[in-house]
Order: sequence, then C-alpha cells, then structure tokens
Amino acid sequence: MNSTRRSLLKTFTLGGAASLTSCERITTALSQQFGQGVPSSLAVGDGVKIDDDFHLLNRAAFGSWPGDWSRLKSMGREAWIEEQLQPESIDNTLCNLRDGSFESLQFEPGNAYEFDKEVLRDEITRHTLIQAVYSKRQLLEVMVEFWTDHLNIDLEKGDCVYLKPSDDREVIRAHALGNFHDLIIASAKSPAMLTYLDGRDNKVRAKSKDVPNENYARELLELHTLGVSGGYTQNDVYEAARCLTGWTVDLKRNLLEDLNLFKPARGVTYFKKEWHDDGEKKVLGHTIPAGGGAQDIERLVDIVCSHRSTGHYLATKLCHRFVSYNPPEALVKRVADQFIATRGDIKSLLRLILKSDEFYASQGQLLKRPFRYVVSALRTVGADTYAHPPLMEYLHRMGQGLFQYPTPDGYPDEEAPWMGTLLWRWNFAFAIASNQVPTVKCNPTMLRKSLDKDTKAQTAKLFAHCIGRHPLETELKAIENLSNKDEMLGAMLASPAFQRC
Amino acid sequence: MPSLTRRALLSKLLVTAPPVVEDAGKHTLVCVFLRGGADTMNLIVPYADDTYHRARPTIGIKPPENGSTDASRAIRLDEHYGLHPMLKPLHEKFSEGRLSIVQNVGTDNTTGSHFECQDQMEHGDSMQGSPAGGGWLGRFLRARADKNYGPLSAIAYGTKLPESLRGAPTVSVLQSLDDIALKTPSGDSAAAASALAQLYGADVTLLGNQGRETLSLFERVRSLQSNDYKPSNNATYPKDEFGKGMQEIARLIKARVGLEIASIDLDGWDTHFIQGSDSGLQAARIKLLAEGLAAFDGDLKEHRSNITVMVMTEFGRRIYENSSLGTDHGRGFSTLVLSDKFNGGRIISKWPSVIEETVTGPGGLKIEHDYRSVFSEVLRGSMGLENVEAVFPDFKVAPVGLLG
Repeated sequence: MNSTRRSLLKTFTLGGAASLTSCERITTALSQQFGQGVPSSLAVGDGVKIDDDFHLLNRAAFGSWPGDWSRLKSMGREAWIEEQLQPESIDNTLCNLRDGSFESLQFEPGNAYEFDKEVLRDEITRHTLIQAVYSKRQLLEVMVEFWTDHLNIDLEKGDCVYLKPSDDREVIRAHALGNFHDLIIASAKSPAMLTYLDGRDNKVRAKSKDVPNENYARELLELHTLGVSGGYTQNDVYEAARCLTGWTVDLKRNLLEDLNLFKPARGVTYFKKEWHDDGEKKVLGHTIPAGGGAQDIERLVDIVCSHRSTGHYLATKLCHRFVSYNPPEALVKRVADQFIATRGDIKSLLRLILKSDEFYASQGQLLKRPFRYVVSALRTVGADTYAHPPLMEYLHRMGQGLFQYPTPDGYPDEEAPWMGTLLWRWNFAFAIASNQVPTVKCNPTMLRKSLDKDTKAQTAKLFAHCIGRHPLETELKAIENLSNKDEMLGAMLASPAFQRC
Repeated sequence: MPSLTRRALLSKLLVTAPPVVEDAGKHTLVCVFLRGGADTMNLIVPYADDTYHRARPTIGIKPPENGSTDASRAIRLDEHYGLHPMLKPLHEKFSEGRLSIVQNVGTDNTTGSHFECQDQMEHGDSMQGSPAGGGWLGRFLRARADKNYGPLSAIAYGTKLPESLRGAPTVSVLQSLDDIALKTPSGDSAAAASALAQLYGADVTLLGNQGRETLSLFERVRSLQSNDYKPSNNATYPKDEFGKGMQEIARLIKARVGLEIASIDLDGWDTHFIQGSDSGLQAARIKLLAEGLAAFDGDLKEHRSNITVMVMTEFGRRIYENSSLGTDHGRGFSTLVLSDKFNGGRIISKWPSVIEETVTGPGGLKIEHDYRSVFSEVLRGSMGLENVEAVFPDFKVAPVGLLG
C-alpha cells in the first residue's frame, strides 16, 4: 500500500457529499487504487496436492484474495498467524469504507428502535458479508462466524432485530479472539440473548407461584458451555435458571417510565432484585450461598466455563470447524487441556490448532457451508460488491441467510445438511463468473492476464488460483471442453474441488 | 466446443444416476414437523378434564357448549375432546372419518432438549441401544423391497435436509419447482452440464453422488415447469412458506413424478412466553397448520386415496401455564394423521391422560405410545411397510389402533 491512512481518509471525505451509489463508485475506485483490486501479476503453486499456505487461507481466512497467497508465502505461516491474532494491528480502512455508512450498527440497543426493521436487517447482514470478503482481519471474521453460530440469535424472533447489532458488536466481535469466560458473561447479559432465549422473563417473585423460565439456562449448559453430554442433570438446569432470575431488559416503555431517571433505558440490561430468587443454589456440585444477588450470574458462568466438559466441548467444536468432521482425539485433548490451563484464552487455542500437524493433514476434507462458499468465490475473483440484495438472495437460496437460523444451535457444521444446495451453488458460480449477479462486478479477463500472458497456460493457472493445486488431467479436460471462458471459470467455482476447503 | 451432445450427456447421466422412475400411482407420505415442541393440548383440547382448566386459567380453551355460537370455544369431537377453534377447517375431515388422532405419543428422551428430541425422533432412535444410522424415512426407503428410486422419490421442502431423510438413497431439498434448472451465461446449459457431469462423475464421495443426482433432477423437472399453477377445487393455500410448500408438494403429486416421501416443517411452536389462547401467538400457527392441510386436502381431492399426511412434533408441553403465560417443555403430544387409509374419526387415547410427576420434571403427559409404534403403523398403512425391524431395529412395536 502506497498511501497512509490519513491521506486515504482525506480523499474519501472529498467525495463524501455524493449520493450513495456515487459514494460506492468512489470507494471502489479508491480501493482499487490502493491495492484492493487484482494485482497485475499473480503467482500460483503447481503442486498436485493443495498447498499448505493456501490451506491455511482456506480455513483461517475465507479463502485467498488475489495476491494473498504470495504474500503469505513470503512472510511465512507463523508470522501470518501471529499477525492475524492481533487484529487491531492490521489496518482495515479500505474495508471499513465499504460499510462505513451503516449507522444502525453503531447505536445502543434502545436507540436502534429508531430504525425500520428492514434497515436493521439490511445493514447487519451486509456488514457481515462485506467484512468477511474485504477485511484484512480474516481470522477475526472467521471466528465471528464461529461464535455467531455458537451463540446463535435469530433476528426474526421478537425484538432481536433491534438488539442483535449491539450483540454483534459488544459480545461477538469484542470477544471473538478474547477470553471465553468474558464472551459467555457478555452473552448472558446481552439484551439480544435475554430476549432470544426468554431470560428477560425469568423471574421468581417473593410469595408468588412463579416458576423459573429455564430456556436460557438449558441452552447455556447444553449449547454454549458443557454440551448435551457434558454431565449436567435436569436439576442443574433448574438451579442455573434460579441463579439467572432477575436479569432482564425492558423492551417497551411508556412516557412516564421514560422520564424516570432511576429506570435503566429501554433495551439496556439490568438486575431486578425483586425478581431474583436469592436462596441457596447447587450447580454441578458447587454450592452458591444464599444472598448472592446480582453476583450469582458471575459465579454460575465461572462454574460452567471452568468445567472440564466445557473445555472438551469447545475443543471438539473448534477442531471440527478448523480441522476435520472427525477431529483427531489427540488434538482435541491438547486443545481441551489448553482451554482449562489458560482459562479459555481463545487465541492460544487457535495458535495450537493452526500450527498442528493434524491441521496440515486435513486438506480438502471439509465442505464449505454456503456463506464460506459465496465469500470465498467473491474473494477468489477479487469481486467488487456492496452486498446488495441480489447477492444476499443467493445465500437465502442456499439455506444460510445471515442471522436467520431459528433455533439456538446455529447453522449445522456438517456436510450432509448442505448437500441439497448444489443447484444454487452452481448457478451462483456461473453467474458470478460472467458478471450476471446484479451489483457484483468482477474481471475474469484481468485475472487470467495477471496469471499468465500466454492464453494457453491460463486455464490451468486459473484452476490453481481457485483450488490451490494444479488440476488433474480429467479436470482440465472437462473444463477446457467449454467454449466460453466465463463458463470455464464458472465450472471451476462449481466443481467439487471448490466446494471443499 | 462441447464434446458431448445433449443426448450423449443424458445417456451418460443415466449410467451414473439412479434410473428415472415413471409414476405408477405411488402413495405419498407427507410428514409435517411442528418444530419447537407443540403444545398439542391446546390443539386437541381435553375439555372434559377439570385438571386442564385449573392448570391453564389464562391460556386454556373454553369447553364447547351446545347451541353456543361463541367462536372462541373448542369444537366438540367427542365427550372428552374438542378442537382448537382455529382447527375448524379440519373438523369435517374428522367427521368424514379421515382424520385420526393419537394422544400421548412421545420419545423416551428425558433431556427436554429440542435438538436431542428432534434428532432422536428423526433418527428413529431411543435412549436405549445404539443409533441405527440415518433417518427413519431414509432407512424406510433404503430397506424396502422396491428399489426403484427417482430423483424426486423423496423431497424436503425448505433449505436444508431434515435428519429424518438422512441416508435416503435419493433426496432433493427444494423451495420451488420453477427453480430447478441450470442457468449459464451462454444460455446453453448442456455444455456446462456436461462439464459438471465429468467433474462430479469422477468424485466418488457423497458430494459426487449428490452432483450426479442434481444433474438428473434438472432433466426430470423440465417438463413440470410453469408459472401459473391453479389449485383444484377452489383450494386456497395460506400465503406463507408453509402454504407455499404444501402447494409445491401438491404440484409434484399431481405431476406424477414418483414422489413418495415429502417432508415439510412448520416452526414457531416453542411457546414459553405469552402463548395465547383462542387467539394469539400459538393460535396463529394453528391457523396456518389447519388452512395449509385443508387446502392441500382440497386441492388433491381426486388423489386422496394415494396420500397420507402425518403431523408430529418433538415433545408436548407441561399441562400448566408458567409465569410468562406460556408453557414449558413437557412429554407426550398428539399426532394427527389425515388419510383415507386409516380408520379415522377417532381419538386414540386413555381417558383421562395421566400427568407425570417424575425426575423429568412435573406436569408432562405420560407417554402411552412410543412414537415408533405410531410411525410404524403409519408406514404400514400408507406405504406398505413390511420389515419394521429395518426401520426401527431392536424395537418391539405395540399396536396403536390406527388401522382399526
């Protein structure tokens, strides 16, 4: 990059008064000028097996943006991993220019009610896709996707659409590479989670016949921490629910309440003492003494996050995502031990996984879920997009609309549930390769030229650029039989090899 | 230039894909899964049981009353039970003897977890014994004597493959028939299909197999595509995903593509919070269910002898309402079967239902019928299942009484 952040911002401000589309045009022109396009010369590996550096980009990033592969090769995998583990040290100005105008993402949850639901839905989903495609903090984005599934919230449930933007910002993104305990406590107190899993209505009032609402407590144990076979009982669920009573958030306000300075603002989590069951609780063999009040939640989260089963469950889930659908037991154990030893330090878990031999023995074993498939295709061709509806529609067709998964277990991280989506993947591949997705632009001709001046050699190199290895003879023959060059690129993106990572 | 002509491509596909089956008046089983654990006690209301009214002072449905025109009351089915007022469209199906209701069906799963219970039910497993592998519908298709499958033998309406169809020899996930086509920049999709046939043909994994099936599906569906479907007999589907899904399933049945198993979800039943009574959150879902089923049944009036619809959920809910005027996870639930093949117009149940006070939490309905007994009987009556053992291994089926 031959420009400083300051000069870049200055140039951008000059175009700031323009309308949205010309704003986008200027951002695109700037981005390309400052290195976010397709470089004029691109190198690819020619091995018959997927290159280790490419493999790292396939899993710890959303694939390789043109030029990323060479950059990683020259800096080394170790240095790249360390760089990615310090996202705040990576300049992300160009990416942030693309979604910088999304105001609803900056608001406190209570104030988000000023926006139309449509705007909120639009901005948070576009923001997520734009960051995944253009962010230079790729590992952060990969982990944002991981935790978004782990702590799934469906925008369509109740008021979640107003509350999720702040959850995304202050729970998921703030802790994606931080500490697991901090992540869980933030999530437990998140207005969006309190709404999504009914925690806001979990109350036991004195002298009442109130029964705790166990919904959140159950998922906290079953899905967020110990896992369903983590060794808790139904009684633990009940006792955990008692610990959490009283944590609530007001979603509606009348004028009088609005004027009451002693009441927390709309959409802000607070502890309602009179709703809390302040008796003694027993969770997973630990006694939480009576009178703990608002501290019970901290104690509970500490107990469940420190549990051996939580280490094992998280280690299994991470290895499943990063390594294999049948994660090697030895690796899972090392990661689980590390989880307990570091009290849930997420960076150290990732460092361990991404540097393990098991990781580099797992090339091409995972099926890309639709989000990864779409993002990696856009990155591979160096596409220019602002994630407008025609693009997002494909994700819906492929069954992975962002923040649309209804149940708290998050989108499945397995092969079989996505097998029925090939039709849409193929149609996306051919459309993207021939610039037929409205509002998405790419330049396959330039990509070919950057790979090789000799047109004969281009197809094999384009394949290596997409897949990370040289094509087999049968693959090359099937693709070269097509007479249309765009269709050749489409067929590469539609091929079984590109469905995997 | 493409090296294969379209005809050559087709013959190539036929070698790799399962043979295309002509429809021979096959029976179609449609499984409707109410996701979230439906409170069926407010669908099939035990109005004659005082315990019900005491446990549900706010959300209970008022008993039917002779001569009353009060539309918020239950619709009388017999001396014990009535339908939720929103289920009115199904009343005549019951009177005609085509709707059967089995009470207190359930799994032996005590986790109270949506995912565990859905998984267990869709896999056809129990807490005892080891998993049989794949889903119960998948196993049925694979295990039966007739090994002729078409690409549209089994479909799941929606965007993801349900666990129940996992392991099926062939299954397509789809949202609309008009969508099933390969679209390429040159407009001639045959060349692209040929390239894909070669790329996926060389892949021996699940993915390769799925690619080949997808290619053969294009050919199969080409003849069905049109934009102006008109349901028969003035049937009107509700304007939502469920209504649309039931309509697409009806189109496939009418088009005789060899559809045998269809799976469709209706979600939104996890009513922990302000569930409502004769109106409200749950009533809106009940209305959708009733209107969707009634439209489907009306649209396919001439095909009824070949259709069975079964409605299930992962667990019922507790008998009493909670402090947020909803209901928490319970045990037993009711299963609905709409078909000409069963001895309907009856509610199969002990009276009154027994309420459990056990480790799994108080207030659930005691299970009388293991769900696998019900599923077996439905498969037998509709699809001619002979080998129960292949679908539900290590399970001793108890007669439910659906067949009379």
